Amino acid sequence: MVPFAYFTAPLAVGAISAALAALISVTDKIVNNYGDIDVAINDGKKELTIKGGQPLLFGLAEEGIFIPSACGGRGSCGTCKVQVSTDIGPVMPTELPFLEKKELEEGIRLSCQIKLKQPLSIAIPEELFNVRDYIGIVERINDVTHDIKEVYVKLPDDTDVTFVSGQYGQFEVPPYDKVKEATMRAYSMSSPPSDTKHLEFLIRLVPGGIVTTYVHTNLQEGQKIRVVGPFGDFYVRDTDMAMICVAGGSGMAPFKSIFQNRIDDGTINDRDIWYFFGARTKKDLFYLDWLYELDRTYERFHFIPALSEPQAEDEWDGPTGLITEVLGSYLQETIPTEQAKEGYLCGSPGMLDACMAVMQQHKMDPERIYFDKFA
Amino acid sequence: MKMSPEFTKAQQNMQPGVITSNGFLGDDHRNVVEIVEADEEHFAALGIDFDEIAERLRFLMNEGRKGLGEPITVSDRWIVTVYEARGHLASPFEDGVFRKVNAQIEWAPDGNASGKTILVSDLSLHLLEHYHFLQGRGSPFRLEPPDLKEVLAY
Amino acid sequence: MSAAPVLNPFSLFFASIFTSNILLANFLGMCSFISISKDGKSSNGLGFAVTVVLGITSAVNWAVLHFVLIPLQLEYLRYIVFIITIAATVQILEMIIDRVSQALYMSLGIFLPLITVNCAILGVSLFIDIRAYTFVQSVIYGVGSGLGWWLAIAALSAIRKKTDKSPVPAGLKGPGITMITIGFMAMAFMGFSGMLQVQ
Repeated sequence: MVPFAYFTAPLAVGAISAALAALISVTDKIVNNYGDIDVAINDGKKELTIKGGQPLLFGLAEEGIFIPSACGGRGSCGTCKVQVSTDIGPVMPTELPFLEKKELEEGIRLSCQIKLKQPLSIAIPEELFNVRDYIGIVERINDVTHDIKEVYVKLPDDTDVTFVSGQYGQFEVPPYDKVKEATMRAYSMSSPPSDTKHLEFLIRLVPGGIVTTYVHTNLQEGQKIRVVGPFGDFYVRDTDMAMICVAGGSGMAPFKSIFQNRIDDGTINDRDIWYFFGARTKKDLFYLDWLYELDRTYERFHFIPALSEPQAEDEWDGPTGLITEVLGSYLQETIPTEQAKEGYLCGSPGMLDACMAVMQQHKMDPERIYFDKFA
Repeated sequence: MKMSPEFTKAQQNMQPGVITSNGFLGDDHRNVVEIVEADEEHFAALGIDFDEIAERLRFLMNEGRKGLGEPITVSDRWIVTVYEARGHLASPFEDGVFRKVNAQIEWAPDGNASGKTILVSDLSLHLLEHYHFLQGRGSPFRLEPPDLKEVLAY
Repeated sequence: MSAAPVLNPFSLFFASIFTSNILLANFLGMCSFISISKDGKSSNGLGFAVTVVLGITSAVNWAVLHFVLIPLQLEYLRYIVFIITIAATVQILEMIIDRVSQALYMSLGIFLPLITVNCAILGVSLFIDIRAYTFVQSVIYGVGSGLGWWLAIAALSAIRKKTDKSPVPAGLKGPGITMITIGFMAMAFMGFSGMLQVQ
């Protein structure tokens, strides 16, 4: 017998395990060390050097390019699509359920499933270059109606935010009460792009809503708040067709930004703009003075507020009825039928569907109706 | 009554952070079966019926949709606002998936708002109808039997 | 420990594939054999993975046995030690394949961890000890057994493709008829054992 035989067994097993563990970690260091990887975006418009071995989604985020992702890189939402023109091997089984045949042919991949191993050339929507993660300060909160608040966020001093009127930002509120985690919701910017130091949002109280409840009960002026953006493809197309804009409630937000932007760059009178705004009673209407003034000042700007259930004390003599009815009668009688039109809609899914139907009934091209569905 | 496996599983799904960040139980310490039994007794004492309530709620939600996101007066007795949000919610009993549609129903005799409201969603209506489950006290979607009776005009 | 048996390498190779098929003669590696054989493509993937891992682990475990366990008189620890080396080998192999070939990684990906707990792998290493093979014999036996396992699962998946569409009595559908099929296959392979015996 070897002396201390009792110890040889555990020692031997321990030593073998340790040796193997060391071997694994050495292999890991060698094999999984990809060094820095060059990533060229949109034909070399932007060249990045990113630490290899991690998923493309996270690598890009490190460099300040935020591909939209709802699940945080777990491969379960399928939103973080990018076009990859380098041959990086076949599509993973985890990606397949989210890619359509056409996308597969175009080389669309899920950026959270692609590991950075070799120099890549990718294409992403240009506007994602502008997406940033801001910690802003709530400068002021105004009640514009009994259930809609205007939240004006001051961005850090060294920022110049770039966005297009109609886009939205993700607004994050911290954990509160029984809500254990920070929660994000998307809201359209109501401030014009010319104001590069602030972002403004219109937030309507939704009963039971986590973010809206917080904004209406807890949010304080002076508080720090996280905003990520801009995102979205709801913006004014560059044509000279008449713009038929329809909104309800906080759907006002993108239009406030759009109109102010056109005033700022002097294009407000370049094309006909019809703005239909639907509410139930007069107390649900807001920004009236400003909009009536635009209507008076600019010949081609028309503001049509409509109340569905005006109260006696409202003394309302404007159009009455659901916004779809008012829209329908204007398309029928007031706005020339032969004039080319584009539709811009912002509101609840029910309102959008109803307005789409009315617009198509009046021969508007569904390809030229753009909308921003409430999140 | 003992909790069946079905209810035990449902109770786990009702915790905060599983299906919704608030959960379905609020700060109620009773288990699901106890909540259901208490509410059933309460319904009986008030003389109201789950199926009738469910039917009326469904009617009001459908009428409320016609408001296109704005409040709308229904039958001259209620003001209903339907809010739609993106996304879906699974039932804690794992028997269906529901769109995130909430309706706030306000009792408004002759169109005059009374301030008495209830908040109901597609999912909470399903739970009321199939399980007589009105959620725990302190849950944002808790339906109190007396409120149901008052707002739905019995 | 007895002296290494004198064996023609070719006989050993063919014996390990056919006459002493690790699956159908020793009935090792049954669980993944039955569950994966539902699908032909996966069967081939797993068969290939088993072959590669067997080839490597038989060499590694032979070395561990002869350079560590036997000198220290710790042969009784071989079960634990073999399992640890198999797990580590699979881990390292997975990392290397991930780096070298994305396509191969994807075809093997989910099977590699499955193999760690495949008893055929441990069985082969133990036979190498019991039968006192030399290093070369061990590797030949390892690779041969892997090919034998691959052959068996490929054959079974092909047969199951037929039985799936055949009028099998209701009670025997699925696992029932699969077990019977495996029995027939084992009997057929027993026919080979008269040709050549390896112990």
